[in-house]
This record gives sequence, C-alpha cells and structure tokens, in this order.
Amino acid sequence: MTDVLRILVAPLVWLAAFSGVYGLHGVGCAFGWADVELLSISLFRVALLAAWGAAVLLQLSLIPTLGSNRFGSAAPFVRRTSVALAWVGLVATLWTLLPVAVMSACD
Amino acid sequence: MSALRRHRRLTAIWASEPGWKGWFSTVNHTDVGRMFLATSFFFFLVGGILAMLIRAQLATPHSAFAGPEVYNQLFTMHGTIMMFLFAIPTFEGLAIYLLPKMLGTRDLAYPRLTAYGYWCYFFGGGMLLFSLLAGIAPDGGWFMYPPLTGPIYSPGINTDFWLIGITFVEISAICAAVEFCVSILRYRAPGMSLDKMPIFAWYALVTSLMILTGFPPLILGSVLLEVERAFGLPFFQAELGGDSLLWQHLFWLFGHPEVYIIFLPAAGVISTVIPVMCRTTLLGYGWVVAAAVALAFLSFGLWVHHMFTTGIPHMGLAFFSAASTLVAVPTGVQVFAWIGTMWKGRPELHLPMLHILGFFVTFVMGGLTGVMVAIVPFDWQAHDTAFVTAHLHYVLFGGFVFPILAAIYYWLPLFTGRTRFFKLGELAFGLIFVGFHGTFLAMHWVGLLGQRRRIETYDAEAGWTTINLVSSVSSFVLAIGLAMVLLDVLLHFVVAVRGRRNPWHAGSLEWAMPAPPPAYNFASLPVVETRDPVSSDPHLAVRLARGEGWLADPALDRRETLTVEPSSGTPEYMVIYPGNTRLPIVFAAITGLFFLSLLIKVYWLTPIALAGIATVGWRWVWSLAQPVDLGPQEAGRGERLPVSGETDRAPGWWGSAFLLAADATFFGSLLFGYAFLWTVAPGWPPPELLEPSLLELGVGLAGALVASIGMRIAIRGNRSRGTGVAGLAVALTGTAAAALAVASLMIRVPAPAGHAYDATLFVLGGYALFHAALAGLMQTFLIVRVRRGFTSPARRAEFPIVCLWADYLALVTILVLVVAHLPGWLA
Repeated sequence: MTDVLRILVAPLVWLAAFSGVYGLHGVGCAFGWADVELLSISLFRVALLAAWGAAVLLQLSLIPTLGSNRFGSAAPFVRRTSVALAWVGLVATLWTLLPVAVMSACD
Repeated sequence: MSALRRHRRLTAIWASEPGWKGWFSTVNHTDVGRMFLATSFFFFLVGGILAMLIRAQLATPHSAFAGPEVYNQLFTMHGTIMMFLFAIPTFEGLAIYLLPKMLGTRDLAYPRLTAYGYWCYFFGGGMLLFSLLAGIAPDGGWFMYPPLTGPIYSPGINTDFWLIGITFVEISAICAAVEFCVSILRYRAPGMSLDKMPIFAWYALVTSLMILTGFPPLILGSVLLEVERAFGLPFFQAELGGDSLLWQHLFWLFGHPEVYIIFLPAAGVISTVIPVMCRTTLLGYGWVVAAAVALAFLSFGLWVHHMFTTGIPHMGLAFFSAASTLVAVPTGVQVFAWIGTMWKGRPELHLPMLHILGFFVTFVMGGLTGVMVAIVPFDWQAHDTAFVTAHLHYVLFGGFVFPILAAIYYWLPLFTGRTRFFKLGELAFGLIFVGFHGTFLAMHWVGLLGQRRRIETYDAEAGWTTINLVSSVSSFVLAIGLAMVLLDVLLHFVVAVRGRRNPWHAGSLEWAMPAPPPAYNFASLPVVETRDPVSSDPHLAVRLARGEGWLADPALDRRETLTVEPSSGTPEYMVIYPGNTRLPIVFAAITGLFFLSLLIKVYWLTPIALAGIATVGWRWVWSLAQPVDLGPQEAGRGERLPVSGETDRAPGWWGSAFLLAADATFFGSLLFGYAFLWTVAPGWPPPELLEPSLLELGVGLAGALVASIGMRIAIRGNRSRGTGVAGLAVALTGTAAAALAVASLMIRVPAPAGHAYDATLFVLGGYALFHAALAGLMQTFLIVRVRRGFTSPARRAEFPIVCLWADYLALVTILVLVVAHLPGWLA
C-alpha cells in the first residue's frame, strides 16, 4: 500500500493546498482581512502569498524525496510515476494558485 | 484430475441456482455484472425516450406537445436517469463483470456486497421510474437547486423522490467503489505487480477512489435538503441563517468529479481496445497511469466553474478557471498516447474501432468547448444556454457512450461465445455519428444565439426554429442508430454462430478462459510475468484448465481464491467465499423500506426498518463465522497460505478502511458546510450560541479515548489468552459515554428549526451518535462471538476491524464536541 500512497501523495498535497488557500481566501474576505494594511501592503495578500509559497516549497521537496533511495519506491514503475506526479503537483500548485499574486482579493 | 472433471467440480461449487430463482440468490460477479448491464441499458432506453420527447417539444415554436409541468419532469428525469441510472451503473456492471477476469482471480472481494449493490440500484431506480409513470417525477432539474426545490417552492413529493431515490441508488455506487478498490489492490493473480496490472484496472481503481470521495458531498446535500423539507431544519433558507449556495458547493463538489467518474472508465476501455485493434501495445503505459491519476485529482479543483455567475470574488473565480484549463493537459496526454499507439501499430477498422474514432472526433470537440466555458468572461455569456447543454453532451456522449459501444462490440464474443453474423452495427454507427453531430452541433449554434436551456417553448421570431428542427430530426436519426445497436446485440445473442476463443488476439487475462466464461473464471489461477500474459503464453488457457496454476484442487468444495500484496503481487492469504444466498436482496429490500418510510413520511416504520437493517447486518457477518482454527492451507504449486480469518488485515479491514474514507469525506463536507455558513451566509453569527458544558465535553472526550484504548486491550487480550471480553467491555463503556455526550449535545441545541447554526450542530451530533451506535453494535457482536468460541489467538481478524471503527468514532466525537463548544468558549 505504501507504493500506492507514494503515487497519490503529490496530487493530494496539491488538493489540500488548493482547498486550503481557497478556504483562507473565503475566510479573509468574510472577515475583512483585506482592509488590514502594514506599510501599504495588505496583510491578507501577504498571508495568501505565504501560503502559496509554502505549498510550492512542499511540492518542490516531494520531487527529490520520491526519487530518493530512502523514501522512493524500490519498484522502478512506481518511482517514475510518483516523481512524474510530483512534477504535476508542482506545476498545478504554481498555475492554479497564481491568482493570489495577480488578482484583486475580494472584489 | 482431468480438465473436464475439474471443470465439472468447480462448476458445481461456483454456479448460481438454475433458472430464474438464481437471479435472486446469485452472488457471482459474472451474473451480477450482466444483471447490472441489462438494467442500466434498460434505463438508457428510458432516458433516450425522454430525450426524444424533449426534442419533439422543441422541434417547433409554441409546441402543444407537453405543458411546462410535464416538460420539467421530462428534462429532469432525462438528466437524472442518464447520469445516475445509466452511466455510473454501466461502469459498475462492466467492471463487476470484467475485473476479476482481467485480474486473474475468481470473484470480487465481497460477492454478497456486489449483489446487495445491484438490488439497491434496482429498487432505487424502480422508485424513480414509478414516480415518472405516476406523473410525480422530480421536476427541479437534475441538479436540484434550492430554493426552487425547497419546501416553499416545491411542496409536493416530486423532489423527495429525487433526494431519497438517488441516495438509495448511490449506496450501490459506494458499495461497488469499495469493492473495486479492495479487489484491484488485493485480489489479483500471483505475480501481477502494479506495473503489470491491466490498464482498465488502473482506471477502475482511480474511478473508484473518486466515487468514494466525490459522492459523499452529494449524499450529504441530499440528506440536508430532505431534512429541511421534512423537518424544517433551515440549511438553505437565507432568512434563517442558511444559504442556497451551500447546495451548489455540495452538489458540484460531486458534480464535476462525476464527469470524470463517467469519462475515466471509458478511457480505460479506449486504452484497452486501441492497442488490440492496432496489433501493438499501449504507448506510454506509465504516462497514461500518471495522467489518469492527475486528471482525477485536478477534477476535484474545478467545481466552482459551474458557479461562475454566482458573484464569487474574482480571485476565487481565477483559481477555478486556472484549474479548469489545466485539466486539459492530462486529458491531452492520454489522447496523444492513444494517437501514438495507433501510429506505432497497424490499425484494423473493426466495429469497436469505428466507435473509438467516433469518440476521438466528438470528445476532442467537447473538450475544446470545455476550455471555452472554463474562461470566465465566455462562461458569463454562455451560462445556462443551450451551448452548455451541447458541450456536456459532446463530453458525455463522446467520452462515454461511444467508448461503451466500442466496449460492447469488443467484449461481446466473450459475453456470448459467438461471432457477429449480421452487420447492422456498421450502419448503426453511421446513423449514430451523423445523428449525434446533427443534434448537438446545432444546439451549440442556437445556444450562442441566446436560447436558454430547459425552456419548454420559444417564439418563432427568435430565429431558432430551423436550427431546432434540424436538431430534433437529427436526434431521431441518432435514436434509430441506437435502436439498431440494440437489435444487433439481441440478434447476436439469439442467432449468431459459435465463435472461437480470443477472436481479437488480445493479451489480457479475460481471454484466457472459455467463452462464455464459466462461473469460476479460471480452473487454476495464473502466474503473471508480463503485462499481456495471453500474448506471452498463447497456451496459457489450456495450461490453466489443466490445473497448472494456483488453487487447482477443488477437493474441499469451497469457493476459494487468494489475495496478494498490493505492490509486488506476492500471494498473502486465501479467501473462502460464502455461497449463494438471498440475504443481499432481503437486505436491499429492508434498506428500501427505510427509504420508503422517509419518502411517504410514515415515520413509525423508520425505526422498524433500521432494526431490520441491524438484524440482517448481524446475520450477514455472523454467517462468516469460522468455528475452528484452520491453519495454513494448501494453495497449489507446493505453497501453503493462511486463511483470511487468521490474519490481521482481512478483507473486512480493507473494506472498512475504504468505506471510512468515504465516511470521512461526508463528515469533512459537513464541517465545510458549517464553516461556509459561518463565514458566508447571512444571519451569522447566530443570535444564541450553544452554552459550553465542561461535563459534556469531558465525558465525550474521555469516552472516545476509552473506546479506542479498550479495543487495543481487547486485541492484546485475544492475542495472549484467546479472549478479549474485558477490553471489549471497556470499549463498549467508552462508546456509551461518547454516545451520551453527543446525545446531550443534540438535546441542548436550542432550536434546530430556528437557525442554520442549531440545525448544523444537531446534524453533527446525530452523525456522531449514529457512529457510536454502529461501534456499540460491533463491539456487542464481537463479545457474543468471543463467548460462543468463534475467536482465538489465530482467528483474530475481526478485532482490528472493530478497532478501526472505534478509532473513527473517537475522532468524530472529539471533532464534533470541539467545533460545537469552541464558539461558545471563544465568545
């Protein structure tokens, strides 16, 4: 079963990050966090960017981890597939959460 | 033992009862798969007739064919039947029939559950069909948006039929998904490691995981809306703290993955059929697996693209627009892998291949319009127009119906053992292809001209008349084509001549058996060393019939198979199946009685039905009792394996783990609903918060922990002394304390019908109480088992299963009590 989990882990991390950032966005807008500013930067924007950055770092770390001898699978097929999906997770995190950097927050 | 004697002996062991009585007691996957497919195609016929009625109505302006009340029922039932009673059950039926054969085993993990799932589908579908015939069918559209479907605007029973009937049918999908996950991961031929699994099994595994996580939000939504309609708990009423957008979130959390749940099995068919039709192997097997997994996950990040016009902030829209465009990439990877497979092979244009080509043209066009509606500004223009209806038909007909027609013609020789005689299928394909595109290309056009979906009439001055007429005439051409397929298949069953085994020269294991398949599938289980075992060893079928594989000796007259370690395919333990029984149909009938009591609001019947469910459930598990230790059993090829009841991770444990994954998704969706209402709905924070109670919290948390610890004591007690009653008694006490705490919470909630906050806490408490009752029942069952001598240090499998449920109860109880008390503490 560990091999099945290796295949699923990177997309799962993306799904958790995507849902988490969407949730954070909803909560922030509902409670007016976008209006709280420090040095003319919205703290809400900083929080969203930080969450995105953390998700990207986590996805990045999965690529060498799943390819390593210690944590990666001994089966070549599972290792290749899990690393490919780790790249998918990284690209998905970069692309689907890009709006936190370029869109207005709560309009 | 000769091959013929072995065949006769195995047939006597595995066969269903002869004649029509066998339909009610069979648990054999071949029989139940056929029953599923026959029923789902019956519903396809019904849904198709409804589509014809819709097109008849829209063929001309101001048509007098059907009034708005009837028309609303027609389009609602067309969508509902096609989605819930045709597409998903067809996948279930095909997978039930094929998976054990492809995986090189004798049956699915839980044969009785297979039959139970079928009967739930049969009775639930029958309930919906009755509503249609009685003129009281659901009429709020297949996605049932409140407030239109709430108690104020839809006071009749129509909506209840949908909410209760569909929930009943979804039990079948959840059963099948649990079954497929366990079967694909554990019930395979020895040596079949993950990289040697047939590609269809990968797709079925991914689809099943999606069903387990995609269906619970809809089940939750249906439960909440029905509770609102029946008892007035206001989850979707804005004036009482509810929000109708919550339904849209819950529905589309299911609804968008549903599209991929329908497409992915079809993609599995395509990935199986194309290499055979092209005399080659699948190009990029690993990439296709990765693309299927990626597609499944990305599909859970798209649901809000159905809600682009609901006023969600731009950043939220952009998240889902980006995800919606990204999903085209793994889809494209698969399409290019299929094209590459055709390129490297030598395509032969047999009938299944024609339908595959029909798929390519249609699905790619549907995918492209999908990218169009994923872009927010375009979606704002096209939303709720016939353009969207056309897009979804291109995706679903192209992505499901064409591949399924390919599947029918590809596996028909296996189903019947006959070879096609009449050539109606080729003409039928032409009519279907032309008819489909005539119908839905026109619908794109009329949608862009502004025709809204679901209207029952239009003015002649709108300029839509000719286009609608073309669409309607084409739809009848399509219907004639589909009717010819039906005729072709029926003629095939009746008059076609005997064919030879494996007419396509395919390499997968379902062709290594006689056609039509015997009840036991394989006389002995194969040892798999390559991805295409039949191609690698053309004499495999003969060798298996001679008994040169595993489990070749039927001396003990038991239905036996074996399980493997999921990754490597190394044999782990033997499974002894129960025989034919009417328990599944009885169980499904009593489950139906429960749903019927809710539908017709005869609530005194509900507890009786629940007691019946508990009684039959008890009997169901009790019949698996193993009175003595068996020890390792002869499994063939000189190996001995333990039986499943004498292991720590029996099939029941795996099934429970996957079922709990679905259960946890249901619970997670409920918590999401609570958070959503708190942050988005009007009328929050609620006027009155729940008064925190240290006693309630303390008793609940302590009970939850004691229930979990008690089960561990019981496991240790059984392992050392062959008992465990003391630990079970401790666990039962903890469970009772947890039940008491959540019951107290439900009683203390001020007015569940007064505000969505109270209603949500009441449902959270009810959810935890239900799980406490379930865990208590399991612990009591196990105590009785121990006292009757059905457990021992070897026969230990049931302890970890109950422990799993007790752990889940502990988690749920703690979370429910914390989220209920936290706002009060913070205030």
